[in-house]
Amino acid sequence: MEPRGEVFVLGLVLSIIVLVISVLISIWARRFTRTLGDYYVAGRSIGAINNGLAMVSLALSLTTFIGLTALIIEGVYIAVAVYASFTAAFIGLMILAAPYLRRHKSFTTMAFISERYGSKTLRYISVIVMMIVSVLYLAGNLKGIGIVFFFLLGVPEIVGIVVGGLVVTLYVTLGGMYGVTYNQTFQTIVLLFCLMFPVAIVLRALGATGWYFPPLGYGDMVPQIIEAVPHYFWPMLVHPVVYIAIFLGSFFGIIGLPHFVMRFFTVRDAKEARWSTVLCVFLVGLVNTTVYATGFAAVYYMQTQGVDIPSAAFDYMVFILVEALAGQGWLALAVAGSVAAGLSTVAGLLMIMGAGLIHDLYGELRPEVDDEKKLKLSYAAMLIVGVLVILFSLNPPEFILVAIMWSFGIAAAGLGVPIVLGIWWKRTNKYGVAAGMIVGTLISLYGWIMIDLVGMNPVDIPFPIFAPYFYGPLGFIKVTAIAIPLSFILTVVVSWLTPPPGEELQRQVDEMHGWTDVDPKRYNSKGLPIVVIVFSVFVMWFMTTLYDVFPK
Amino acid sequence: MKDYKLEVWVTAICFIIVAITGGFFSSFVVILNELFFNQVPTPEGLVAFYGENMFVVKEHLTVMGFPLHYFLLILFSWIGVTIIGAIWCVIMDRLEERQRA
Repeated sequence: MEPRGEVFVLGLVLSIIVLVISVLISIWARRFTRTLGDYYVAGRSIGAINNGLAMVSLALSLTTFIGLTALIIEGVYIAVAVYASFTAAFIGLMILAAPYLRRHKSFTTMAFISERYGSKTLRYISVIVMMIVSVLYLAGNLKGIGIVFFFLLGVPEIVGIVVGGLVVTLYVTLGGMYGVTYNQTFQTIVLLFCLMFPVAIVLRALGATGWYFPPLGYGDMVPQIIEAVPHYFWPMLVHPVVYIAIFLGSFFGIIGLPHFVMRFFTVRDAKEARWSTVLCVFLVGLVNTTVYATGFAAVYYMQTQGVDIPSAAFDYMVFILVEALAGQGWLALAVAGSVAAGLSTVAGLLMIMGAGLIHDLYGELRPEVDDEKKLKLSYAAMLIVGVLVILFSLNPPEFILVAIMWSFGIAAAGLGVPIVLGIWWKRTNKYGVAAGMIVGTLISLYGWIMIDLVGMNPVDIPFPIFAPYFYGPLGFIKVTAIAIPLSFILTVVVSWLTPPPGEELQRQVDEMHGWTDVDPKRYNSKGLPIVVIVFSVFVMWFMTTLYDVFPK
Repeated sequence: MKDYKLEVWVTAICFIIVAITGGFFSSFVVILNELFFNQVPTPEGLVAFYGENMFVVKEHLTVMGFPLHYFLLILFSWIGVTIIGAIWCVIMDRLEERQRA
């Protein structure tokens, strides 16, 4: 897609309105922030509806508008697998972690891991993993905001990155978690409105009879798509390993991503944590299926109306279709919606990075510092982190979707595994968690280190049995399918071979599950670790069956 | 102990169902293909085995115009998991009330 030669005034005005409202919301929300708990977890006062809406905007980053449509047009079935895993993963997050994390009363993922396992070292390791994951996720989104400004508004990319980054940094710094939560709620409403309505108009223009409900509104277009592209709805011809990597990365990555987990520390109680996730998964599914409708509408549009759109522009298909079939007014709305999507995710990540640095790192190194000083330092840290990320985002990874999927994999192996086992198996101890976290994270980074840093050819990387993991669909992100099972195995085996955690640490598991008494038999059976090991070994064995059919 | 077992079993069953609908369902289709195509399914192989119209245009295999497998995958992983999540929440709400009592 060619960048606009001129400024798209209407789109720019709507985007600026979104930015200004975001700052105003934060200024308004600032009055609620008096303590450190208010700043980091909104005084644990957020209700289910508010939290559910805020989670939706976190989940629907800029990849919703940029990236997913290209995947749908180019490779339907793998895109459907991404959608299915990502949507269902929220329920996985809920039933494995959400209400239990809320009862634990930590501020952050890193604090949870440190307090559950009684180890300061684990806190430092998890802060490092959190920073890697957050920077990858954040840079992708901030770069996306720059792309939106450049291609759609005619404003230089660097202006988009700097303006978008500064606005988010400003409102996160000013409003803390209250500001972030109310902003994310506002941005979800903007996003839903700005995506659903333009897509409905596009479907109506293409003659879809069910245009008023985009997720399922394009059924009568399918025969024409099949006629034009006979293999379109066939199962994707790739090895199941790709799907397993997507499944494991989504399910355990979402539990490990600290900005998602932090939302559960802000709600009033475990019940609100549960129901907010149900609302979130319903709305995430609604938006994702609407994006899929856009992808199919794009195929239909190109095939039936003879429009030739270069594959490099598939990323912007939402905007191309809306402009061609709905008009400039709807395009301006879609642009504003995409800016809102990018801002909300960036805000959540900045919040967790600031909290991680001050609460989990500085607070541990200098325990004598009082909360009032920590609060002041938090404002400063948030501002500094924001500026540093803006600078990093000027030269981020190339492809947003890949960077974000990769961060899911690292989060799953490094943080998701210790959270899940820490909630469901009392016997898990700090030694096992350290082994699983470090090895899991390093394996997730292995492909990137060898290919991008060392400059090796993917087929020449040591351990040739795993060579097919470094090229073909998803590239080295497929290594997730090795890193996560290995992290599970190491955590369980090392925990078993080393002394059990103390009674006080084991008591936390009963408390997290809502029990007022302590029973050593609860969450301490051999069944769970055995099932985890058997399943992980099976998955790892299955990984070795990956056949070599991808182009090198 | 009765409530503990209820919590663990309900959670395990819900997780398995959600995992199947949200992830492995998609790979099952590929695994089945592999059984037929000697590990490496190709478009030509699929055409030879199923015919050109596989999955798609057979009338009884479509819902609202969608290929059945695609429709089910989309619906299971969206509406399906939402309902499973809501059922799990209701059970856990009741369990929590009993724990408090």
